[in-house]
Amino acid sequence: MKILSEKKTMTLNLTESEMMVLDKLSEEKDMTKTAVLRQALRLYQLIEHRITHGEKLYFEDELSKEKKELVVL
Amino acid sequence: MSSRTAVFLRHRASGQYVPATLIDGVSKGEVEGAEKIWRPFIQEAIKRMEVERRPRADRPQHAHWDWEKKHDAVADILAYQLFGVECEGEMQGLMLLKTAGKFSRIGSHKSQGIVYVSFVETAPWNSPLIVQEPRYSQVGTVLLATSISVSIDLGFKGRIGLHALPQAESWYATHCEMTDLGPDADCHGLRYFEMNPEQAASFLN
Repeated sequence: MKILSEKKTMTLNLTESEMMVLDKLSEEKDMTKTAVLRQALRLYQLIEHRITHGEKLYFEDELSKEKKELVVL
Repeated sequence: MSSRTAVFLRHRASGQYVPATLIDGVSKGEVEGAEKIWRPFIQEAIKRMEVERRPRADRPQHAHWDWEKKHDAVADILAYQLFGVECEGEMQGLMLLKTAGKFSRIGSHKSQGIVYVSFVETAPWNSPLIVQEPRYSQVGTVLLATSISVSIDLGFKGRIGLHALPQAESWYATHCEMTDLGPDADCHGLRYFEMNPEQAASFLN
């Protein structure tokens, strides 16, 4: 069953440090660099959408349940 | 953006496989069309169950779901994908996936991304909970296989997760052979199920 949308190709210019982070994430998550960037795009748009609609983004400590707001610029 | 793929459903009465269409990116009009038929059908079935004094536990636990609201809440957000299966001009099933920000809870896969099946529903005439002789089977199988395919495409290797309503638990545990990670206090006590890459490959085969 082929359900995948057609994809377009682009060239991406990254600094060395950006590429290092992408390499590290790709290795840690066992995903291709393209997959990491597609995931990042989804998260970025989702966060933008929620903040635009008046919501705030928090991180919660699993043990203490302390919440810290993440400010997205 | 919407794309369509040919799939097959099994017509239960004849035992024949019939052509159907998997829709990636179900439109508002298509969701409205489904809701207009599904909801009255379910309400009618609930009334019948009440007249027959059937136990409350027999009534469909997803009767309150509103796909129009779900569609509106996630429209144009990449992190959500709404799929439908259409056959003979009618929507036979709908599924909403969350494709970002969800991670595996299985020890060896922890922190690896998964596709989360937020909601999946078959048309009421296909549900043995609602009708005595369901029309089509394989709707849930087609939709779950779709969620695995999306997971593979996104680099999650087929990993998927979901919270099951009690009436659907045995389907996920037995038919889908997903790992049951027990009740989740953060999700109304619903049992959480996950499929790892090996289980996903086995399901697709």
